Amino acid sequence: MKSGDAKPILQIDHLKVWFEARNGLFQKKQYIKAVDDVSFDVYRGETFGLVGESGCGKSTLGRTIVRINHPTAGEIRYDGVSVMSLKGEDEKAFRKRVQMIFQDPYASLNPRMTAGEIIREPMIVHGTHGSAKEQESRVAELLETVGLKPDHIRRYPHEFSGGQRQRISIARTLALDPEFIICDEPISALDVSIQAQVINLLKQIQEQLGISYLFIAHDMSMVKHISDRIGVMYLGHMMEIGESNDLYHHPMHPYTKALLSAVPIPDPRIAKTRQRVLLEGEIPSPLNPPGGCPFSTRCVRATEICRKECPVLRDVGGRLVACHEPEER
Amino acid sequence: MRSLLDVRHMSVDFTTDQGIVHAVRDVSFQVGEHEVLGIVGESGSGKSQTMYSVMGLLARNGHMCEGEITFNGHDLTRSHYANRQDYRKMMWDLRGNEISMIFQDPMTFLNPVLPVGKQLMEPLFNHMKISRAEARAKAIELMAQVGIPSPEKRLRQYPHEFSGGMRQRIIIAIALACSPKLIIADEPTTALDVTIQAQVLELIQEMTQKAGSSVIMITHDLGMVARICDRIAIMYGGKIVETGSDEEIFYEPKHPYTKGLLSCVHNPEKDEEELHPIPGSPPDLLKPPAGCPFVDRCEQAMRICKVRMPGETEYSKTHRCACWLGERLRREAVK
Repeated sequence: MKSGDAKPILQIDHLKVWFEARNGLFQKKQYIKAVDDVSFDVYRGETFGLVGESGCGKSTLGRTIVRINHPTAGEIRYDGVSVMSLKGEDEKAFRKRVQMIFQDPYASLNPRMTAGEIIREPMIVHGTHGSAKEQESRVAELLETVGLKPDHIRRYPHEFSGGQRQRISIARTLALDPEFIICDEPISALDVSIQAQVINLLKQIQEQLGISYLFIAHDMSMVKHISDRIGVMYLGHMMEIGESNDLYHHPMHPYTKALLSAVPIPDPRIAKTRQRVLLEGEIPSPLNPPGGCPFSTRCVRATEICRKECPVLRDVGGRLVACHEPEER
Repeated sequence: MRSLLDVRHMSVDFTTDQGIVHAVRDVSFQVGEHEVLGIVGESGSGKSQTMYSVMGLLARNGHMCEGEITFNGHDLTRSHYANRQDYRKMMWDLRGNEISMIFQDPMTFLNPVLPVGKQLMEPLFNHMKISRAEARAKAIELMAQVGIPSPEKRLRQYPHEFSGGMRQRIIIAIALACSPKLIIADEPTTALDVTIQAQVLELIQEMTQKAGSSVIMITHDLGMVARICDRIAIMYGGKIVETGSDEEIFYEPKHPYTKGLLSCVHNPEKDEEELHPIPGSPPDLLKPPAGCPFVDRCEQAMRICKVRMPGETEYSKTHRCACWLGERLRREAVK
């Protein structure tokens, strides 16, 4: 846990990202509230894990930070400066400091460029690392960092396996010496034995370079492994934020509890005997989310107030929970 | 335990532009009655093709070049039928009736232009003498059993009107329509969210127990296997490298690949556990290694591993492993 002494590098403040949805030309405008009033901080050198099921807004949030999506309201501050107000050179500098690794290593690499060209491109765009020759040697260095061979430099993406492609994406994000990397499900497209390779690589890079990560995933066990703190999202809302081991062992939000009990445990004695909180029903459509707490339709503990009033994220003994009646620790 | 499905020395080849891919190589396994067998392997390990071959559903460019399959007294080996029509007729009667399959992606399995009710009634009409009204009543009952609310209404709806989890429930209902003896589930929950995964898994378990069916669960998810399987077979590079009961595989793994696989998944119940990934990547099955498929990634590889495929060493009635290390230890013990 590195958050105590440091100051936040990324501050998300009441962020809302809504998408317009219209069924027909004359229909009333509707909004998909992909991210609705989410606030959290990420500290320097920290890994913040963001978990949630599909449609909870975790990827939208990550993409909004790097300005792929536009926020409807709220503020994103990076190193104290509002990201949305950046223009020109400042924006370019910001993009250099914050990089992103995408989920699908098949779609995020240009098939017509060699691995070397892909890794070098950001340096050309930003004009860093001096002459072409120096850039070339930087590419070779990066290939080594991510565990690829020097002769891979002239190969095309289709000649690599999924795990190797993800290594190329990682090398590309590292090309500009970023301070902050947003990893959007970087391992979910990979095989189990390769997942562990990529996770260890990310950890090792963090130890060497002191980079902060926002690690977005749906796989709770991997997120717990890599993160210092975890935020749990549901239907565009942040439900709970806590230190990762503590959150795993003592979830306070009923949704976190249910999510955790659904995590498969690779141990037959535990897996066959443990108690499960099975959630009834499915995630409601973000087009017409339930009134009050978004989880109230599936929550076993929901009461009258939960259906009326949306709870705000509040501090309960060092843990942030958005629940009217959180579970005892 | 009587074995329901018996596969012996099966090999499956695919003809591609690049050459012949030996996807499954000399695989043998049995499934007993009321048993849940997990087949675990990474992508390209041949786990799905093994089962497609059993079902007679291989793609056009694939064929089973060796081996025998027996299921509940039926001979499913295609090459044993001189007439292709006979084989097809036999499989036609069996599929959906005594063996059925649950696929990974519910959207590609369901017909998008037919209401789900029609699709649910199809196996009933095919395999039972049943009237329209009876079939409808049975379909409604099935839908209620798999937990679909207001089945009378939803019977008339099309697949796109259902969510992913609901679609998978419909597929489970179709698979169970004729109370099959064996259900083959090919990664049934990979396309679903974690909480929905847990629901669907629970449902498969409950429904198959009620019907007394055996299950073959094809997956790469060790957590899921730990939860529902009685016996596990680990596949790698087109071969089964280790089989054993769930406890034998998880607590006393013998094959270096099984050990490696277990140490690359994180057990969230334990804190601060290091992940030990397996270096390298799986073999190219266009030109599979002559010896053990795992040899290039194995830390304990010996000279013989490169040249010859190890035989199986038996550790218990259920636990077998194909590795030269075990073989060597056994020989030393005999001496």
